[in-house]
Amino acid sequence: MSKIYLPRRRLLQISGLSGLGLILGGCGASLSDGVVFKATEPLNQSLEALLLNPNKLITEFPASSIEPAALLINTYDTTPEIDPETFRLKIDGEVKQPLNLSMAEIKKMPFTSMTIRHICVEGWSAIVQWGGIRLRELVTLAQPNTDVRYINFQSADGYYESWDLVSALHPQTILAYQKNGQPLPIDNGAPLRLASPIKLGYKQSKWVTQITLLKEKPKALGYWEDQGYEWFGGL
Amino acid sequence: MKPKPQQSFTVLIFHWLNVVSLTVMITSGLQIYNANPVFGGRAGWQFPSLFLLGGWLAGGRHWHFAAMSVFSLNLLAYGIYIVLTKRWKNRFISQSDLKALQKSQNAKRTNYAWHRLTYTAIIPVLLLSIFTGIGMYKPAQFDWIVNLFGSWKALRIVHFIAVPTFVIFALLHSFLAFKVGGSRLIQSMFIK
Repeated sequence: MSKIYLPRRRLLQISGLSGLGLILGGCGASLSDGVVFKATEPLNQSLEALLLNPNKLITEFPASSIEPAALLINTYDTTPEIDPETFRLKIDGEVKQPLNLSMAEIKKMPFTSMTIRHICVEGWSAIVQWGGIRLRELVTLAQPNTDVRYINFQSADGYYESWDLVSALHPQTILAYQKNGQPLPIDNGAPLRLASPIKLGYKQSKWVTQITLLKEKPKALGYWEDQGYEWFGGL
Repeated sequence: MKPKPQQSFTVLIFHWLNVVSLTVMITSGLQIYNANPVFGGRAGWQFPSLFLLGGWLAGGRHWHFAAMSVFSLNLLAYGIYIVLTKRWKNRFISQSDLKALQKSQNAKRTNYAWHRLTYTAIIPVLLLSIFTGIGMYKPAQFDWIVNLFGSWKALRIVHFIAVPTFVIFALLHSFLAFKVGGSRLIQSMFIK
């Protein structure tokens, strides 16, 4: 008897499992942006902030580990053309000393190099060397007000991103103008881009032109966040 | 007629939460997988939409991160439960089961031993998927986990392998449960 019953039972179980997937999958897209995301994201965000140790230096790699071909280029729209001679980086918002810096001025500031693992939300990773200036040095120069908690990055291509200040002040969060020992290519965000081992790739804006320090989280959280991605994006 | 198999409410809740949260974890996990397949990258083979949850990468991640706590805390609660009720002593594979598998001619006895072996073997698989999951969730904060597996790619593969392993387990587990206790045992795991 069991020989007759078994296939049917197994078939029922398999169809039951995939049926559940179908039901959930069918309404998943709209449900997740609604109920599930709203219900769990605040908790997950607190967990992410809790897991972030602002003083921990993330493992760096020897130059021999660099994977030049692994770093894929993701751009949401167009690649802007920027003249590095006339380029200016603006730092404003809740600061006592707004700044307007040329690339020459930025390159005179203390240079930092790090070889880290860059991780994309899609799942791939690449070990990359980034060279540039620590973001915390620029923020310190601008003298932010004590109640600043967030920071917004505006890019030349219209991309925008906001971060928690703690992550922005991490010693390995830099504005890079060098990649793998060479001047930063335009496709990777020249003249200036964000690079950090503690945030997913979509948080690391390319072609940054304006940095704004904020008391409150902006309404427009970031290009991908406003499409549905989570805001913290910490690693 | 033998008495109907009965499970405690606690066991039914553990089982149901496990079935539902693991289904969500697997289907949303495959959605995430498809964004950049572990095998083959962007050109790699993708799972058909029938098995996916979330609609796109962001939705898949939301479901995955929503269900991860349910799944992990349920497993933790189950761990505490089997210790407190001393079930760990007689629910998992034992010396006598191993002996039965080698020597016993009694089909019922060997079925039961196989059932317990399968049931025991899935526990480390579930724990490993949580461990590799933490490594992928926070690879910078838990960089030692990534380093333990050698590379990001290796970590992704081990995390992904949990899916086929678990699907095979679920089939074996259902099949062996049926052989041991028939549909009455299976029914008792879902309804009171």
